[in-house]
Amino acid sequence: MKKKTAFRLMVVVAVVSGLALVLARAGTIPEWLYLAVLVAGFPLFVVFLGLWWMAREGDADIPFMGY
Amino acid sequence: MIPYLLFATAFGLLLLGIHRKMIARIQRRPGPPVWQEILHALKFSFKSTWVPATASEVLFVSVVLIAIGIWTAAFFVLVTGGSLLIIFAIYMLHKIVEHGFGLSSGSPYGKFGGVRSVISAASEIPLFVSVSAVAIFTGSLQISDIIAYQAESGPLFFAIPLAALALYLVILSKFPSSPFAIVESKEIVSGYKTEHFGVWRAGLETCNGLKTYVLLLTFLSVFVGAIPFIGVLLAMILIVVSLAFVCALCPMLSPFDSVTIQTIITGIMLIYVLYLGAFG
Amino acid sequence: MIGAGGSPLRYLEFGDIVIYFSPYTLALFLLALVFTVLVIASKPERQLDIAFGADAFTTKDIGLSEMRFRRFMAIACGLASMGAMVTGDVFDFCLFTSLVGICNVGIVAAVKSRHVQGAAFQYGLVALAGTVPLFGGAAIVAATTGTLSLIELSSTLLPAVPLVVKGFLVLGVMGEGMAPFYAAKAEMFRAPGAPYVIMCSLSSLLIFLRVIEVVLQM
Repeated sequence: MKKKTAFRLMVVVAVVSGLALVLARAGTIPEWLYLAVLVAGFPLFVVFLGLWWMAREGDADIPFMGY
Repeated sequence: MIPYLLFATAFGLLLLGIHRKMIARIQRRPGPPVWQEILHALKFSFKSTWVPATASEVLFVSVVLIAIGIWTAAFFVLVTGGSLLIIFAIYMLHKIVEHGFGLSSGSPYGKFGGVRSVISAASEIPLFVSVSAVAIFTGSLQISDIIAYQAESGPLFFAIPLAALALYLVILSKFPSSPFAIVESKEIVSGYKTEHFGVWRAGLETCNGLKTYVLLLTFLSVFVGAIPFIGVLLAMILIVVSLAFVCALCPMLSPFDSVTIQTIITGIMLIYVLYLGAFG
Repeated sequence: MIGAGGSPLRYLEFGDIVIYFSPYTLALFLLALVFTVLVIASKPERQLDIAFGADAFTTKDIGLSEMRFRRFMAIACGLASMGAMVTGDVFDFCLFTSLVGICNVGIVAAVKSRHVQGAAFQYGLVALAGTVPLFGGAAIVAATTGTLSLIELSSTLLPAVPLVVKGFLVLGVMGEGMAPFYAAKAEMFRAPGAPYVIMCSLSSLLIFLRVIEVVLQM
């Protein structure tokens, strides 16, 4: 995944979660929907944040097979 | 909820750091600083990352998301006073996530870690025992009801100490370098997380922080009841310190011994709950 | 105990069989669904093995026909566990549980390894034996109370379900792959194909979690 894509997706997830927070505070959406958005959003946010931050994408290698 | 969620993750990582530091001091090593685990989580997200050539890509990435997702859900269930059964279920399903971590990469070390995590499934039954002991006493499995019950008639810790011990052992078996931590022992490199490096490991660290916070908060909500927030944090640190003493002083058991001891504990706890059900 | 997993949020009626979603069963259902989608979406991994006596390694590849069969079985297993998660009928629950047992054997039976097939055979025997108390329990429920619906069973109007039923149901589910009877199943995880193999352990765990709710509901 390109870093730019990861950044955009991260922003989308953050905006959706923030929107859910605001809407739940205002009482437009029920509390459980807000929490459900966060359950799906938090892991995506963490992973996309990492994919945006990471140094570079390496070439796929075989797993570690011992020293 | 968002700020509390982020706080819980960071504080859980801090607790793991305190745990590590305490173990080091007990063993007369200087040890890393207490915020080491938070630094770890950050450091791993800056590392270069890829999916191993032999891995099942979708599963390899999805287990990271599922790992964080289920503990986020557990956190919300706990905070909103939902059913204790759901937290029990999520705790057991963490096994499957570990299994997925291990098997999805194709690495033999990961596979051993994953298989070990499935073999030690017996370690979850004490949790079931403490859940049922709590249900016998309070007549409900809603955490809000359990807290209300304790506000009325005192902490359950004094009423059913053995059930509290069962949950304590369950928490112990999930802590790094505990006697039961066979899934990540050193002879299989890092166990199930061997191949999850970089960003994936950062996700796993996030999950671990949240998991630690949720497990300790469950213990406090179910056996101590409502206490002020600062009290909760201090009590968590106390529990972690006590866990650190166990982890620092006990060697890691071999897989066979670990499973045997956990099964024996389970047997004792089952007899205890039958006794409670019949005469309690 | 009524509503052990939280009070039901939604009912789905199929004649006299009522499916209900409580927070607990809904959470379990969603997890089964997520993993079934994963089975459909992901390709199997290639397990690495170190070649003895040389500085080399081999990968175990899964052939296309084998993969197709195992994926089919894993999806069937996912569907069966989803059914077992939400059903509101004791007999249906037993049926789905035994279906999970059969699918678990199917997931690994196509693997060409002696250890795996031996384990699958042994597990199949234990699972077969496990279905006897399972359906026996359901039969006693019907005989003593005249209903199999969990919603009706949770009301206090009916005669109490004998304790032996709860024991039978838990024993049956444990036979399908929980802790003490797990030994036969552990060898099955040697099989390559992570997404499918995970379905084996996931489905057993899920039905064990559900049977707790079923037993508390009665």
